[in-house]
Amino acid sequence: MSAPVGRSVPRVDGPAKVTGKALYVDDLHPPGVLYGATVRSTLPRGRLRSLQPDPAFDWTGLTVVTAGDVPRNVVALIEDDQPILVPVGGEIRHRAEALALVAGEDRERVARAVRHLIAEVEPLPAVLSIAESMAARVVIHRDDNVQKRYRVVKGDGAEGLSRCEVVVTGTYRTPLQEQLYLEPQGVLAWWEAGKARLTGSLQCPYYVAKGIERAFDLPGAEIDVVQAVTGGGFGGKEEYPTLLALHALLLARKSGRPVKMVYGRQEDIEATTKRHPAEVEITTGCDRDGTFRAASIRIVMDGGAYVTLTPVVLSRGTLHASGAYRWEDVSIESCAVATNTPPNGAFRGFGAPQTIWAMERHVDRIARTLGVDPLELREKNLLRAGDTTATDQRLSGSVGVAECVARATEASGYRERRARGPAREGRKVRGIGVSVFFHGSGFTGSGEQKLKGTVAVDLLPGGRARVRSAATEIGQGTETVFRQIAAASLGLPVDGIDVSVPSTANVPDSGPTVASRTVMIVGSLVEKAAREIRDRVDGERSAGGGSFAEAGDRLLAREGAVSTVATYAPPPGVRWDDATYSGDAYPVFGWACDVAEVEVDLDTFETRVVEFWSAVDVGRAIHPGMCRGQIEGGTLQAIGWAMSEEVVTSGGQILNPRMTNYIVPTSLDAPPFTTILVEHPYAHGPGGGAKGLGELPMDGAAPAIASAVEHATGLVADALPLLPERLFELAQGARP
Amino acid sequence: MRVDFILNGAPCSADAPPLARLLDVLRETLRLTGTKEGCGEGECGSCTVLLDGTPVNSCLVAFGQCEGRSVTTVEGLSGSGPLTPTQRSFVEEGGTQCGFCTPGVLVSLEALRTRDAHPSEGAIREAVAGNICRCTGYARIVAAARNAAGDGEPE
Amino acid sequence: MTSPPLAALPFVSPSGLPEVLGLLADRSARGDETVLLAGGTDWYVDRQARLPLPGLPLVVDLTRVTALRAIDLHGERLVLGGATTYEDLRRSPVVSSRAPLLARMAATVGAAQIQARGTLAGNLASGSPAADGVAALAALDADLVLASREGERRVRLADFYTGYRRSVRRPDELIARIEVALPGLPSRQAWRKVGARGAQAISKVALAGMAVVEEGRIARIGLGMASVAPTTSFLPSVRALALGRSPGELSGSTLDEATGRDISPIDDVRSTAAYRLHVARALVRNFFASLG
Repeated sequence: MSAPVGRSVPRVDGPAKVTGKALYVDDLHPPGVLYGATVRSTLPRGRLRSLQPDPAFDWTGLTVVTAGDVPRNVVALIEDDQPILVPVGGEIRHRAEALALVAGEDRERVARAVRHLIAEVEPLPAVLSIAESMAARVVIHRDDNVQKRYRVVKGDGAEGLSRCEVVVTGTYRTPLQEQLYLEPQGVLAWWEAGKARLTGSLQCPYYVAKGIERAFDLPGAEIDVVQAVTGGGFGGKEEYPTLLALHALLLARKSGRPVKMVYGRQEDIEATTKRHPAEVEITTGCDRDGTFRAASIRIVMDGGAYVTLTPVVLSRGTLHASGAYRWEDVSIESCAVATNTPPNGAFRGFGAPQTIWAMERHVDRIARTLGVDPLELREKNLLRAGDTTATDQRLSGSVGVAECVARATEASGYRERRARGPAREGRKVRGIGVSVFFHGSGFTGSGEQKLKGTVAVDLLPGGRARVRSAATEIGQGTETVFRQIAAASLGLPVDGIDVSVPSTANVPDSGPTVASRTVMIVGSLVEKAAREIRDRVDGERSAGGGSFAEAGDRLLAREGAVSTVATYAPPPGVRWDDATYSGDAYPVFGWACDVAEVEVDLDTFETRVVEFWSAVDVGRAIHPGMCRGQIEGGTLQAIGWAMSEEVVTSGGQILNPRMTNYIVPTSLDAPPFTTILVEHPYAHGPGGGAKGLGELPMDGAAPAIASAVEHATGLVADALPLLPERLFELAQGARP
Repeated sequence: MRVDFILNGAPCSADAPPLARLLDVLRETLRLTGTKEGCGEGECGSCTVLLDGTPVNSCLVAFGQCEGRSVTTVEGLSGSGPLTPTQRSFVEEGGTQCGFCTPGVLVSLEALRTRDAHPSEGAIREAVAGNICRCTGYARIVAAARNAAGDGEPE
Repeated sequence: MTSPPLAALPFVSPSGLPEVLGLLADRSARGDETVLLAGGTDWYVDRQARLPLPGLPLVVDLTRVTALRAIDLHGERLVLGGATTYEDLRRSPVVSSRAPLLARMAATVGAAQIQARGTLAGNLASGSPAADGVAALAALDADLVLASREGERRVRLADFYTGYRRSVRRPDELIARIEVALPGLPSRQAWRKVGARGAQAISKVALAGMAVVEEGRIARIGLGMASVAPTTSFLPSVRALALGRSPGELSGSTLDEATGRDISPIDDVRSTAAYRLHVARALVRNFFASLG
C-alpha cells in the first residue's frame, strides 16, 4: 500500500460531482417547502417610517415576517451592531439591507409579493466613500466613523526614516471585489419539535449555530446546522450565511413549513459581503545600496455599514503590510471606516492582498528610484529564518521564500527576459514582472488558542474509522485530505476512512473553514486524534493479537464506542500580546514567488497574461494535485482582481451586479500555469509539515502583473484593476 | 403544455408551461438536479445541456421549443454505467473542485469530443469559454480533457 | 407595464412562415402584442431582469420555421435567413469563402452556447448599438427583407434604424432575410472586437471592415462600428474619405478626424467615451494600414 500522504489520490467527492448527483441546497425538495424572498432597501441610508403590504395585492397563503417577529434582532458576530431585519423606526444603513421577508409556495408569486410590500423611508445623508467617512461631516458609526484601529511599532517606528539616505513615498489603491462563487447563497430551514434545523451552502456551521442561539435564545442542543454540498465560498460564505439562515428560520417558524431561500445572482452581488476596498500610503527609507531600513505604512479600509469581520480583516492586512522583507523600524497605522454600503467581509486573503499589493508596488517604486532591478532589490531584503517580522516575531523555521524565488525565476527565465527589456512585435509588446509574498497560516495571534478547535475520530467496525470536524469541503479538498491524514496516522487505506458531513449536532467545533487553517490546524488535530485511536488498537493487538480490524472490533465489543477527541493547544514558545499587537502573529507563514508575462496591445491597451509561474512553499504537499488546484484557482481569482474585476458603485448602488458586467476570467483569459511546489516543512504541520495554502495565491498575481505591464510599457499603475481604460489614461498623463 | 422529447436517450413526456425555462423543467418537474442555475442570464454556463447535440444555456430555452428534440444533461453522460473517461479524469486530476460548474463543463466537453476526438488545448478552451469556473483556474480542466483523450502531457 | 409570469404567456410553435405572418397581421391590427422568439438570448435575459412586457403578448416560436434559417448564394447575392445563428455562419462554407467577416464576427459573440442559439434577426431586432452582427452587416451594406402578410419590402440596413433601439419595422413585420451584395474576389474583410475579456463580452468598440482594392485604389468600402453611437455606425465620413483613394494616401490624422466626426461614444458601465474614441480611431487606422 503506497503512503496516503504526498499522493494525489482521486477526490472522494468527485464521482458525485461529475455525475450531477451531488446535492446542493437548491437541489433539495422537501415536501411542503416554501420559497422565501427578501424585501430590501433601495436607499443607502434612511429612517424606515413604515412598511405596509399593498392592500390591492392578494396575500392569501403568503407568510410575511418583519422585525417585530424577531425575538432578538441582532446578527451575533464581533460587535452586535447589525440587525436581522430593520425595524420600523430604525435606521437603514445600506442599499439592499433586509427590511422584511416573504414566503410562499410559488417562487414567481413570492417575487411579486416582495415588490408589493411598500416601505416608506425618510432619506438621511449617506456616507459613500472612504474620503467622506474620514472627513466625518456625517457620522454614521460611533463618534468618528472608525470601526477599528491598529498600531504596530517595531524599533523606532517612523523615526527611523529620518536616518535613511533614500526615502520613497507612494499611495496604492484596491477596489471592491466580489467572490462570485458559482453557486449563489442558499439555505433550507425548518423547525422540528422546537428545534432549529438548517442545511445550507456554508463554510462555518458553528457560526450559524451561534447566530441562531442568540437570535432565538435557544441552547446549542436545540440546533442542528448541516453543511450541504457547497459550490464555492472564498470567504463569501463565512459569515453571511448566518443572516440568511436567520431569515429562513424566521419564515419557517411563522409559516410552520420548511423554507428554502436561494439568492438570484443579482441579489447575491447586491446584498452580500465583498473584499474591503483599501488605500495604503507607504513611506520607506533605505540605504543607497538598497538595504531596507524603515517603513511607515498607513492603511484605510472601507468596512461598509456594519462591523461584521472588519476588525479581523484589518488585522491581517496590517500584519502583512510590511511584506516579505526585513525592516529594522516599522510603523503601521491602520483603520477601517464605516460607509453606507453593504458590509464588507471575508474574501480569500482577507486584507493581505490589499496591503501586499501596496508593498510590492512600492518595492518596485524603490527599485525605480534607485535604478536597480526589482528582483535584486527583493532578494537583498528577503526575510530568512532567524529574522524578525514587523511584530518582532522571530522566524524559527519553514521559511522557503528564497527557494521559491530561485525556482520561479529560473523556470520563467525572468532575469534574462527582464534584462532584455520590453519585447515589441508590431503593435504588441511583452513584459515580465515578479512578486514575492507571504501569508500567515491559521488565526492571528491568540485566535487559535481562544478558539480551542476540537476534532473527534471514531473507530468503526471492520477496521474503519470516521473523522468528525466542522471543517467544510467547499472545493478545496477537505474531505479527501482529512482521509489521507487520518489514513496515514491509522495505518489504514484512504478509503477506509469516513469523514462526517459537518452537522453541529454531530461534530465538535473545530473552528471555521477560513484563515488557511483547515489542513494545518484542524488537520493536525485529525492526525493527533487518529494517532490515539491507532495507539489504542495497537495496544489491543499486542495484548490479543490479530489484525487492526480484528483488534478494533474486540475493542468496540468491549467498550461499546471507541472515540478520541483532540483539542488545539498552541506549540510551546508561542507568545502574542493583544495590547501591543506584537509577538508571534502566526504560527508559521506560507511563502511564494510569482512571475507573470504579459502582452499589451499598444493601440487598445488590452492586456493579456501570456504565461504565469508560481513557486509556493507549502511546507508539505499532502495532496500535490489539490495544492496545485488551490494555487492555480487562487491565482486566477487574483488575476481577475488585477485585470477586470471591480464592483462599481454610484450613490451607494452597485452598477454592475450581474455576470454580464462583473467581469471574471473565462478559459480564454486564463494563462497556462507553471506551478512549483516547494517544501520547507513546518514542525507542527500534519502529514510531515503541511502549512496553510488556500489564501496565499491571492496575494501575488496582481503586483507581478503590474510589474510586467510596467516593464512592457513604462506605465506605472498604483491602483487596481489594470483596465485598458486606466492604462490609456496613464499613457495620456505620461505624454509631455 | 405537454411536450414529448428525448431526454438522455430515452423518450420523455413532461407537462409544464411552454415558456417555462428548460432549466426549470429539468430541475423541478423532472427532478434532474444535475444541471445548475448560476446566473439566469446565459453568462455562466452552469445550466449547459445539449439540445440536438449542441451545447446551449438551458436558462434561455423555452420548454415549448423542445417538442421532438433531444436533450442531454450531465446525468445522461454516463447514465447508469461507469464514469466516462472525461469524468474519471476530472475526479483524478483536479478538473472539479466545488463541482458547481462541472456538469455544464462536462456537457460542453462531450459535445466537443463527438466533433473532435483529439482536441487541441485551444479547442478545449474555446469549447468551455461559456462555462465560468471560479475554483480551478481552468488549467486542470484542460489537462483532464486532454488526458481523457489520450493526449495528456506527462506530469 | 407589468412583467407577467412566464407561465401565463400564450405560446405557439408554427412551422410555416405564412402562419406567423398571419398572426402578426391580425394581432397588430387589434393592437395586441406579439413576441417573436428564436434563440431567446436577449428575451430570456430581459425576463430574468424582470423588465416589463407590454400587454400580455403571444409568444411565437420561430425555431420550427425552417424557411427562416437557410443560407444561400444566388449569383453574387448572399441570402441569409433571419433565424441564421452565429454557429450557422461559422459552419457555412459559402460564408467562409465569400463573407468571412461574418464568420469571424460570429466567433467572438458570447461563447458556444450563445452562438448556437442567437440569430441575426434577433440581433437586428434588439436594436442595441453594441450588436456585433449588425456592425458586420453594416460593413457589408446589407439589405433587410421585411415580410408581412401583405408581401415583402426591402430596406437598406443603413435606413433601418431611426434612433436608439427604434427601427422602421412595423408591428406586423418580421425580418425574414438579410441579403448582401457580395464584394468581388479578392476582398479584404476584417473584424476586430474590443471587449472586457476573451469570451462572453459585449463590445466596448468593434469594427467591421470590407474593402475591394483595384489597381491600387479602394473601389468598394464598407464599415460598421459597434458601441460608439445610439445606433450602429456606418462611418460615412471615413467611407467618403477612402473611396477612390489608394490606402497609402490616407493619413492617420485625416482618418482620425473623420472617425471622430462619425461617432459619439459615451461613458457607461462598460467603458469611457475617451477610451472608445481612442480605440475607434486606432481600429480604423489599422484597417486601412492593412490594405496597403
